[in-house]
Amino acid sequence: MQVAGIKKEWVGLEFDTAEFEVTEADIVSFSRAVGETDPRFLDPAHPDFQAPPTFSSRFVSRRVLPEAFPHIGSRGFDAGKAVTCHGPVRAGHRLVAHSKIADVYEKTGRSGPMVFIVHRMDFTNQDGELLSTVDWRMVRQPDLK
Amino acid sequence: MILDLHNHSIKSDDGRARVENYCQWINKRELAIDGFVLTEHRQFDDASDYRKLEDESGLLILKGSEVETDYGHVLLFGVNEDLQHAFDFAAIDLELARVVRESERCGAVAVPCHPGRPNVGLCAHYEARGPVPGVSIVETFNGGSRQGEDEWALAVADQYGYRGVGGSDAHIVSHIGRSATRFEATIRNVDDLVGALRQGDFEALQCK
Repeated sequence: MQVAGIKKEWVGLEFDTAEFEVTEADIVSFSRAVGETDPRFLDPAHPDFQAPPTFSSRFVSRRVLPEAFPHIGSRGFDAGKAVTCHGPVRAGHRLVAHSKIADVYEKTGRSGPMVFIVHRMDFTNQDGELLSTVDWRMVRQPDLK
Repeated sequence: MILDLHNHSIKSDDGRARVENYCQWINKRELAIDGFVLTEHRQFDDASDYRKLEDESGLLILKGSEVETDYGHVLLFGVNEDLQHAFDFAAIDLELARVVRESERCGAVAVPCHPGRPNVGLCAHYEARGPVPGVSIVETFNGGSRQGEDEWALAVADQYGYRGVGGSDAHIVSHIGRSATRFEATIRNVDDLVGALRQGDFEALQCK
C-alpha cells in the first residue's frame, strides 16, 4: 500500500453530494444536546437565531469513502471532526454538502503506523453561499502481516 | 533559563493549541518557564513569525520539528534550509542514522523523543537492533509519558552516556510546562539553543 500513490489518485476527488433541510427544532435540539446556553442558539424568536458553530458536523454523507477507494486496513477509528464556519446556518436553509477527499497522510504512534484519511464536506445554502466546512479524519491501521 | 523543548500548535494535524494561548496560559499560571519550542509533526513551519508575540508575552518562542524514523520520533533543533533539503520531513520511515548525520552536517541537533514509548520510541528499537552512532542527547522527560516510559528512557540514557532534555509534548494548552530543560546559558535564539545543546550544560526537569 503506497500512500503517496493513493494521495495522488484520490485527493481532491468529489465523490458525493447530499442535501439537508435545517429546521428550528433541529437547531434547538442540537443546541441543547451540546449544552449551549446562548439564546441565539436556543430561542427561535431571537432576532439572530442560528445554529451553533459545530451544527453541520451532525450531517453525514451518503458515502464515507469513494467507490473503489483502496483497502488500507481492517482496523481503524474515528479521529474527530474539525469545523470551519464561514457564515451562520439558519432555520429554513437547504444545505447542500459536497464531499471530497481532502488529504491522505501517514504517521506513526504508540499503536504503530496509521493512515489518516480526511473526508471534507463543504456546506452551501440554497443560494450557493459557503457556510461551513467539516473535515472528518478517519484513521486506518494497515493489516498486520 | 528554562525552556520547554517539545510542543505542538494547530500547525500539527493533531495539535489543538494556538501559540497565543500557550503564552496566555504560561503567564496566567505563572509557569516557571522562560519560553518554548514548537516542534510540529513531520514539517518545519517556515511561515509563522512569532516575534510580535514574543514581545507581547515576554516569552522566547523558537521553532524546531519532530520527524519520524526507523528508531522512533526525533526532535530537530536548528532546522535550516540545508537540513530541509537533506531529507523529506514528511516521511515516516526516515533512517535515524541519516537524520543524526545530516543534522550534524547542517549545524542542527537531533534528539530522539519519548524514547520509552512503544513503537515510536528509541528504547525498544535499541533492544531489538542495537544503538545508533551519533546520538548523544535523548528526551528523558516527556510530558505525555505513561508510567515506566521515562524510567526506561533514563535507564537507556544512563547506559549509553546520553544527556537528557525535557519537553511537554503538549498538544493542548494546559499541557505546556509539564516537562522542560534548564540551561546554564542564556538562550536568545535557535543558534544559542543549538550551541547550548552541543555544550551539554543543561538538565531535564519534570514539572508535573
